[in-house]
Amino acid sequence: MQLLETPWMNSTLDRLACAPWGYHANEPSAAEPTALAALALLGAGRTAEAQSPLQWLAAAQTSNGNIAPFAELTQSAWPTAQAAFAAAVASHLGGKPQLNLPLAQQWLLTAAGMAVENSPEFGHDGRLIGWPWVIGTHSWQEPTAWSVLALKSLRLGNHPRTREGVRLLVDRLLSTGGCNYGNTVVLGQTLRPHVEPTGIALLALAGEKIDDPRIELSLQYLLENLSAETTPLSLSYGLLGLTAHHRQPTASATWLEMAYRRTIQRDASPLTLALLALASQGEECPLIKHTRPA
Amino acid sequence: MPTDQTHSACMTTNAHNEQSDSAPAAVERAGVSQSPGSFDRRSLLIATGVAVAGVLGLPLIKRAFASRQPVFIARNQRYDGPLQKTIEDGLLATGLTPQQFRGKRVLLKPNLVEPTRNSPQMTTNPVVVLAAAEVFRNWGAEVTVGEGPGHVRDTEMALVEGGMQGVLDDGRLTFADLNYEQVAWTKNRGRASRLVGFYFPRSVCEADFIVSMPKLKTHHWVGMTASMKNLYGTIPGVVYGWPKNVLHHAGIPETVYDINASLPRSLAIVDGIMCMEGDGPIMGSPKPMGLILIGPNCTAVDATAARIMGLRPENISYLALAANQLGPINDSRIEQCGEHWQDLVKPFRMIDAPHLRGLSIDPGVQVS
Repeated sequence: MQLLETPWMNSTLDRLACAPWGYHANEPSAAEPTALAALALLGAGRTAEAQSPLQWLAAAQTSNGNIAPFAELTQSAWPTAQAAFAAAVASHLGGKPQLNLPLAQQWLLTAAGMAVENSPEFGHDGRLIGWPWVIGTHSWQEPTAWSVLALKSLRLGNHPRTREGVRLLVDRLLSTGGCNYGNTVVLGQTLRPHVEPTGIALLALAGEKIDDPRIELSLQYLLENLSAETTPLSLSYGLLGLTAHHRQPTASATWLEMAYRRTIQRDASPLTLALLALASQGEECPLIKHTRPA
Repeated sequence: MPTDQTHSACMTTNAHNEQSDSAPAAVERAGVSQSPGSFDRRSLLIATGVAVAGVLGLPLIKRAFASRQPVFIARNQRYDGPLQKTIEDGLLATGLTPQQFRGKRVLLKPNLVEPTRNSPQMTTNPVVVLAAAEVFRNWGAEVTVGEGPGHVRDTEMALVEGGMQGVLDDGRLTFADLNYEQVAWTKNRGRASRLVGFYFPRSVCEADFIVSMPKLKTHHWVGMTASMKNLYGTIPGVVYGWPKNVLHHAGIPETVYDINASLPRSLAIVDGIMCMEGDGPIMGSPKPMGLILIGPNCTAVDATAARIMGLRPENISYLALAANQLGPINDSRIEQCGEHWQDLVKPFRMIDAPHLRGLSIDPGVQVS
């Protein structure tokens, strides 16, 4: 599937070109939906319109280089990866990154999850260092996946932090395929996979030479669990994960349009609209195109 | 990972490493001034601790254990039964009145920790939530259902898979996604953990009453989860992550206590009809009990629930912390309304783990 040019896509991009970019309609801007809106606009070639969300992100950047979920809320900085990714793509496309990209990169390379000693109580390797939601806590699946993607977009795919992040993501895959928020086995019990984290993990692992059957099992999990009824956010990440591995279902475009209509009826969340737009861009999506190995 | 362990490493963020009791000024600005439909006066009061002190402050805490606390239990309940009448009867039996709720904002907080169609024993049944909503709406309250699932970022998925979305639509109920709302900071009024304060979402700050509506389950780290532990879901994932690992690092029992101590007034309506035993709160097995538990004091309700599950309340760490602080756990200080718990005990199987041994009255009830 290549870039869709449909009325719903154009309408979505028109909406994403204007603030606010909140988690829900008519809510104040937040870093994550703002970064994803910028990425969706950049992926659709609307570089000039992406400047506005990029400027918002630049204004939200702290002197440490990080960006918090809400403006001035400095205690958790996991959206820094998404913001850095958007700025890096803008830079690659010849535009202005707006935010201080070297500073954001430095923060990403410094930020680290807290290691824990391995234990029979849980199944993953607690010594692997990825990225946490909140500094001072353990590494978890999604912030690690986003940070790996961001570092790849910054041409740091071979950096030791990126490599360790990739190892962590593979380590957190469930033996049955797929993944959840980042635990695998707890007290002897294998946990359940979910679509959204599986999609983003596969997205971050695309292009890696990984000889591990859990990759294929995870792709199969997504193929079996995506449908026209899948909720928009999970559908978007699921399709991005599959597309990054050249496995997008033929019905993707139909599913995305159906999900768009449901989103508009429900609350027109800018976050969801941005993700639907990104998923509709197929292999041209910046999350795929700008993370390929050089 | 063993998330109830308190690790030695310090939190390095401002939020979790403050040494003063003042909220970060920037956070108050972020939580209040940015919002187009900005926080109302009540939120500002809660964010600065005034309303919390007035609603749940020391005078109320003292009252909570100075007198006996009522807990109502209904047996032989079914999801296709007259749950609205059961819940109304239970609320009235525990001394709550329609007048207390007229014109008030009531936040119903079910447990939707992660989405699954195949494990209905994991999440609060939507029909119980709808029944409670109808009771409070009939009493003149403004009702919102709110949850911040702890294990999934896709809240809509949790609503759909748990069957809640259809009930929300059919019942024309407003839903507050607690993981992504604007936040305000409030002082930690429990201080059992090292956390100085908490960020709560707008709907939590603006609520006059938070009704904890858990599913009654075993919990593989702390033994059981009911109305107190369910209030973990009032903490916003956008600030604390998925899972809400900051709380785990600060200690699960301690933060359960602290969150309960820091929230606006709460009460409990427990879905104990189809429960979970074994490896709860996610991977356990169904345990049909047919119960609804109701009470104005979450500590007393959970202590009673523990006894029904065959557990010793005094050995459940967060109940031990809450005892005589947030409410009574001693049976002599709990007024039983409706059914007597002694007639309803059916020990829940627990996983055989060292940290759970000693919780069950009958230690033979275990699964490996």
